[in-house]
Amino acid sequence: MTRFEGTLVDTDVLVIGAGAGGLLAALSAKRHGPPGTRVTLVDSWLIGRTGHTAFSNAWKIVVDPDDDIDGILREIVAGNDGIADQILVREVLENSYARLKDFEAIGMTFGRDEHGRYKRRPTRGLDLARVMYPEGGGLEFAWKLRLALEREGVQLLDRIFITGLCGGPGGRITGATGIHSRTGEFHAIKARATIVATNAITFRSGFVRDITGTGTLLAYRAGATLRNAEFSYVRPGTPKFYFEGITFAIQEGARWTNAKGEPFMRAYEPDWADEADVPRIARAMAIEQEKGNAPLYLDMSAIPEGMRDEFIQSKVRWMDNFFRKLGDEAKTDMFGKTPYYALNQMTKMGIRTGADCRSDVPGLLAAGLAQAGCANHFAGFHIGLCVGNGFIAGRSAIEDLDRLPAPQLDAAEVRALHAETFVPLKAEAQAESDRILRDLQAVMFAYDTGILKREDRLQGAARRVAALDEQFKQIAAPHTHELVRLKETEAMLLAARFILGASLFRTESRLSHFREDYEARDDKNWLVWVDVSETGNGPAFTKTPVPTPLCSVEPITRRPSRLAPRGAEVASI
Amino acid sequence: MIETIDLEKCTGCGICDLVCPADVIHMEAAPAQSEIAGLTQVKLLPVIKFREHCITCFSCEIFCPERIVDVHPSVKNRPRPW
Repeated sequence: MTRFEGTLVDTDVLVIGAGAGGLLAALSAKRHGPPGTRVTLVDSWLIGRTGHTAFSNAWKIVVDPDDDIDGILREIVAGNDGIADQILVREVLENSYARLKDFEAIGMTFGRDEHGRYKRRPTRGLDLARVMYPEGGGLEFAWKLRLALEREGVQLLDRIFITGLCGGPGGRITGATGIHSRTGEFHAIKARATIVATNAITFRSGFVRDITGTGTLLAYRAGATLRNAEFSYVRPGTPKFYFEGITFAIQEGARWTNAKGEPFMRAYEPDWADEADVPRIARAMAIEQEKGNAPLYLDMSAIPEGMRDEFIQSKVRWMDNFFRKLGDEAKTDMFGKTPYYALNQMTKMGIRTGADCRSDVPGLLAAGLAQAGCANHFAGFHIGLCVGNGFIAGRSAIEDLDRLPAPQLDAAEVRALHAETFVPLKAEAQAESDRILRDLQAVMFAYDTGILKREDRLQGAARRVAALDEQFKQIAAPHTHELVRLKETEAMLLAARFILGASLFRTESRLSHFREDYEARDDKNWLVWVDVSETGNGPAFTKTPVPTPLCSVEPITRRPSRLAPRGAEVASI
Repeated sequence: MIETIDLEKCTGCGICDLVCPADVIHMEAAPAQSEIAGLTQVKLLPVIKFREHCITCFSCEIFCPERIVDVHPSVKNRPRPW
């Protein structure tokens, strides 16, 4: 039994997770709060050097004041097959230009052309929206935000892995408990408002992005409702290298082909073909694989010789190292024949909130991909939405400071959370969570479960996950490193149950949720969110109609093809 | 995946440990040549403690001031969908 000792931190606003959503939530809370407002940001590792955002290009949709904002909202809603919070998305788009100016004010630079106009690009699956990214990509983006937070007096707690929320269920959230992810030192953090921004759940599949999104599940246990568990982000990838530029390669002439050399996307997506959004490409890849047409390739032979080098270098330092160290191999692989496959990168499950980012539980808010604002984010709207909802969550948290009474931490509850945290820590144990994780990946990544769904197979997968749950109860952790991984695996097992449950519940096909036994989209019955909440007797799945106050959810009939090469960066604004 | 850290040239600054987002590298005390006979001198040096959990993000290599960390670009521990 680990002794009850550790550190108690008292703050006004606690933000958990330091990706784009959490960094922006902390900045926004500090700026919206009256002088002296205490804001604390925690992350399992080093703030500014970790998280999904830090290892991305940090592409963001930015809407210029002269852009057609209603048109962009409309195509994002259509690209979500209707499953989007229209009020939230519109506010995020509306404020994106102001956020760009915030980023410049803290030292980020964005590319401009010779006339001084911002360089922006179109993105996959959207016609009107334009994306841009800061020099240095995500590493610079996250680090500059860290430095800004330090300057503005936000308390940064690196290497704190949160293991529980205080106050729920049924009550008001009063903070969180966690451990130092290296030393194991116990921490209790008392907060008047708590923002969960720990990304979406993944099964450790992302290349260079080892994010597990445990905060979403802690929120569930504290009484929050989760939604969008049936949707996922499945991305084409290779076993060898990470290629962030697929969208742009396709714009320059790259095409998906199968083992017979046939370009196959047009058969699945007559309008968008290779420029279709990721879920549609993933589905086509899975079907091609099932038909025996694998391996599949991204044929880049149509890309002009002079442009090829652009694709094997990057301004993002880690990615550039990849290409540089692969050397000629990168060149051969990328422009020769490297098999691609679709791999689940993350679920789309997040915490149900209003457009103000408040959850159903008083004192608990959500930001980043832990907030269920959209079921499909496009290249550029993952971080675009995180920036926007982080800003909104920080503002709402400050409003809550006046609305909610000062919280009391319950000593008995903190002691119980402490005990629960350390239960699996046993010096004589073997580290076994990786074995269970591998088995879980095998269940959840199988194409006939993760992408091409059917009732009997989903039920079979649910039985296998239940069996893994039983195995999980037997394992323990010999040290802090494994304790953190074990708790992440526990969260993934719970997430898998929700994903399979929600996938069984939604008896239609929509977006990344393809049911072979219910092939059609059914707006009459299923223009709804599937919500999961704890009843006391296990999770219950329910429907919540998606309001459509601002625009139609009808699919947009495709405009003229833009598959012709369109040159490098498109300058607008 | 991380391959090597050239400990001969390592100053023990600990940046590789600090920036690792997967808890792979731990600074640990290693015996060093003692300046005073009779006293055991130790120096903090990085240990690749959980190589199997490396996510090939290159952070240790990029931020090492001495440029003595080598990360291999191939990713052997990446899952496949079948």
